[in-house]
Amino acid sequence: MTPAADPRAARRRQTLALAAFLVVQTLAAVFFVGDVIGDLRANPASIHFIFEALVTAALALGVLFGTFALRRTIDLLRAQEAALDVARGALGEVIDSQFADWGLTPAERDVGLLALKGLDVAEIADMRGAAQGTVRAQLTRIYSKAGVTGRAQFASWFVEDLLGEGLRRAPAS
Amino acid sequence: MAAPSGIPAAQPAASSASVAAAPPRPPLVWDPVVRLTHWLIALVVLLNAVLTKGGGSLHVWAGWIGLGVLVLRLVWGLIGPAEARFSAFPPNPAAALRHLGQLARGRPDTHSSHNPAGALMAYALWALLAVTMLTGLVMTGGRTPMQLDDERAAVAQGDWSVLVKDGASADADDGDGDGDDDGERGGLGKAAGEVHEVAANLILVLVFLHVAGVFVESRATGHNLLRPMLAGLKAGIRRRGHRE
Repeated sequence: MTPAADPRAARRRQTLALAAFLVVQTLAAVFFVGDVIGDLRANPASIHFIFEALVTAALALGVLFGTFALRRTIDLLRAQEAALDVARGALGEVIDSQFADWGLTPAERDVGLLALKGLDVAEIADMRGAAQGTVRAQLTRIYSKAGVTGRAQFASWFVEDLLGEGLRRAPAS
Repeated sequence: MAAPSGIPAAQPAASSASVAAAPPRPPLVWDPVVRLTHWLIALVVLLNAVLTKGGGSLHVWAGWIGLGVLVLRLVWGLIGPAEARFSAFPPNPAAALRHLGQLARGRPDTHSSHNPAGALMAYALWALLAVTMLTGLVMTGGRTPMQLDDERAAVAQGDWSVLVKDGASADADDGDGDGDDDGERGGLGKAAGEVHEVAANLILVLVFLHVAGVFVESRATGHNLLRPMLAGLKAGIRRRGHRE
């Protein structure tokens, strides 16, 4: 599981817990309503009945508002996830088109992407089944095509876009 | 960048930007209220159809719990997220028949909520559940399981006055047959019992069709329809298992 997915999973668990709580509240409300209806048939004028009916009405209203609140939470969560996906997709497009502009070969694009993700030379070589020397040579060519001095500048090239006004796109749908 | 691995994202997320005119597809995950109410109702049906004794304390408890869960799902159908709302799957028998025809030819359309046949199934099940619960309430005189337990405990101790008092007060209140629960077993109570039984058996038939429908539809569309109803639960169980 990637670390980026964790807060979202936590929020999803939270909505599940809220929903479970809502179910319990609804059950309580239904039992109280049943009790009140029973009292209504027995003795509708007593203080006991009136008080209990008020409390039950308050509980039912509370459950209704809880339902509304849960609905809003779910909507918010989905909006955030959609926004995150748009941003992620947009960054991917920016990287792709920039790599194309620099004229990277397919192999260099793969290596460049892995380097952006923070893998070191040994890991990239391992992943691609290539020699470390090959990867190092590819990285050097990438840096020279991009006109940067090294990995840090290479990565910051894209981070800069995120910090500025870039990537402010509305969802396409 | 690769799509995030792990739990599938909630409904509108994935690929909304890249694929402009993709066909609608069922939710990747139903919201937690839909999932919880679905499985609680399934549990109640299983309990009360197979495991509990009709009229027994557990049976009545489960029925009341089912009533609460059904109420919550119906409220959620009015104010829940888009795909859980009734407006997302209006009952439409013609569309349902069309869908079954497509299914028979192996190329059913996909839908963003329940497909028309599934929607009709949901409404039929809800209606039958409501009928079963209401007739159950008539059979128990509308008493909560707590009240029934109290009365049974009193009778078991030899105190029959609860029965007498109840019948008397019901008769005194109004003579329209509210007190049919204990004294007179005929009339309304008997009819309710018949309806209760027929509706309960119909529910079992529909449940079988429902499960078969989910299986066939999943095969035909290539969308696993069971996973969105399970997702959160399964992920939760898996994660808890990892920690232990």
